[in-house]
Amino acid sequence: MSPELTTLLAGAPILAGGVLAVWLLRAAWSNRGPSRPWRVAGGWTVLAVVSLAASQALGDARGPFIAWTLISTAALVVVATGVQIRTARARAEKSLAPEPSERQSRAWRGWLRALLAGPIGMIAAMGVAVAFAVCAPLVPQTRIVIGGLMVPVLWGGAMAWTLADDRILRATAVLVGVSIVTFTAAVLKGF
Amino acid sequence: MTHAAPKPGKPIWPRIPPGFVRAVLAGHSSLGLAFAVLIYVVCFSGTVAVFAREFQRWERPDVAPITSVTPQVVERAALQAIAHGRNVEHVFISAPSPDYPRLVVTVDDDGPNRTWLAGADGRLMSSGETVWTEFLTALHINLHLPRTWGEFIVGLTGVALLSSLISGVLAHPRIFKDAFHLRWGGSKRLQEADLHNRLGVWAMPFHVIVSATGALLGLTTVIVGALALAVFQGDMDKAYALFLPPHPVDDPRPALAPPKIAYAVEQALARSPGGQVSFVGLEHPTERGAGVGVSVTQPNRLAATDSYTFEGGGRLISAERMGEASLGVQILNSLGVLHFGWFGGGLIKIAYGLLGLALCAVTSSGVAIWLARRRDKGRPAPRWERLWIAAVWGQPFALSGSAFVGVLAPSPILPLAVWIALTISAGLGTAWLSPASLSRSLRMASGALMLATAALWTLRQFRNVEDPMAWMVTGTIAATGAILLVHALRKAAPAGAEVLAHSKA
Repeated sequence: MSPELTTLLAGAPILAGGVLAVWLLRAAWSNRGPSRPWRVAGGWTVLAVVSLAASQALGDARGPFIAWTLISTAALVVVATGVQIRTARARAEKSLAPEPSERQSRAWRGWLRALLAGPIGMIAAMGVAVAFAVCAPLVPQTRIVIGGLMVPVLWGGAMAWTLADDRILRATAVLVGVSIVTFTAAVLKGF
Repeated sequence: MTHAAPKPGKPIWPRIPPGFVRAVLAGHSSLGLAFAVLIYVVCFSGTVAVFAREFQRWERPDVAPITSVTPQVVERAALQAIAHGRNVEHVFISAPSPDYPRLVVTVDDDGPNRTWLAGADGRLMSSGETVWTEFLTALHINLHLPRTWGEFIVGLTGVALLSSLISGVLAHPRIFKDAFHLRWGGSKRLQEADLHNRLGVWAMPFHVIVSATGALLGLTTVIVGALALAVFQGDMDKAYALFLPPHPVDDPRPALAPPKIAYAVEQALARSPGGQVSFVGLEHPTERGAGVGVSVTQPNRLAATDSYTFEGGGRLISAERMGEASLGVQILNSLGVLHFGWFGGGLIKIAYGLLGLALCAVTSSGVAIWLARRRDKGRPAPRWERLWIAAVWGQPFALSGSAFVGVLAPSPILPLAVWIALTISAGLGTAWLSPASLSRSLRMASGALMLATAALWTLRQFRNVEDPMAWMVTGTIAATGAILLVHALRKAAPAGAEVLAHSKA
């Protein structure tokens, strides 16, 4: 049997498993009776079993990615089937959602925040990645690739933090400090 | 010792301080607004580009699918291509694969690169140029900007998306409490928030994978540059050399005989049993220092490609079998496959297409929440409402128009010119049309253009079609166009963007 046909045939049980798992979780969510913990456990167990079975049938690395992609799709279908259609109202309903904080709107804070989220955050993330690529006890290719993968994650994290943190000077000190320490360590040690 | 069971309904998740949530939400909001258009354009073009192989087959439907080729067929195609060129530097041959069952040969010589499609016997048949697909993939990869800058901006957009995912989860204290709520048609803000959060949370693995891999692919040049600057005295080649196979010894004297391509392919296949040749690259094929690179793809693997390099005479100079490669090399070889959804055939491509649309909807609804919140607070932003509708519905409109001219007059520049013109015209529409009219007009125009594209393609190609996939693509374009057109023409209850306009009118 060709790998493409195997994947196609495996797709049906994976999708069915995803639907079952998310349906169990939704049943637990909507009914807070004594069976709720069992439904939660059942839902997560089905997800784990589907992921493991996919890795066995479709490849150790490939199988779980196929499973998670199809489970996400199945989950959206289950969520869509529970849609509540409401009547449009001219007046807005009172929202329970939290409101974003109102900040001091000084120009220098805005510019500094943009610099921290952008170039300074990028340099700090690259500093950590380069230091990892230089210092980690792994083969060179692995150090470099994992270091490279760290850049978007760390930069994204730095962006989220600096755009949220009102103590902007603290964020500046941390990011600049991290950049100096990590790049210095990398240059001193060498590849 | 026994513990009392928690009371039903008691939250199991630690309570997040409201001040923290509000601060993270402020950051999430400002980042999302700053990058909304870029994220949307990259995500929308990427969603369509998931099916790039199918679009390539649609643009060149006159070649019958080929399931596999022998080493001798590869050699025949390569030698013909070399004979067509002058001072050939490289020849690249893509062997048939399940999602792209074609033998494609590209020559890099003194002139611009040329691409041919070859038949099952290795005979070069027709041009392999696919101008609209090239336009589409370049839009996604570098926004048609100069390569380095464009890739950096797309990479930065990936980082902004990843950051939004992080802050979105942190700013979502009711992530489990609201896990299945999807309320539609009531309060605009509640509707968009439910859509935003449900699509964001349940498709989170996909969102994280495509944003992280996309960011890394886009930022590769900058990251390697930083690494080289820090530890290789600025020499980027030293960093790349860790991952690339060695080149044959340079010898520019004219070759005494053509490179032994078929022999190299046979040797590679013998060293990777169970695999299928996927790519052959020739370096300086008319010189004595010629090299032959052969890639063999293994089934059921994420990092699936074994790579071999031979001298022109057939001596093996490097071999890298992915099963024995380092973790770093395996991860590197998985990035593109994971980003583009090339690891599970048509089923995964369809799932990637749907999840990609979900990511577009997350982006669109994020801005819609901000606009609705402003309205609820008595500070409406009608101009931004119109502009955002133009940005969201302008993309299907502009891409449909570019596909139409791609069929009408295949020229490398026309699809881009039309895409720019239609994107601008969608923006200009904000000067005259209300949000509801603008949304409806753009959806109608997109649907009409898709139907026109399918009709024009059928008129021009129906006698030449050898590849059934081309009919499936045409049918899908026509069906999508019809759905958009009917949806726009239907007098439905106000939903989506136009509620913003109606609710305060």
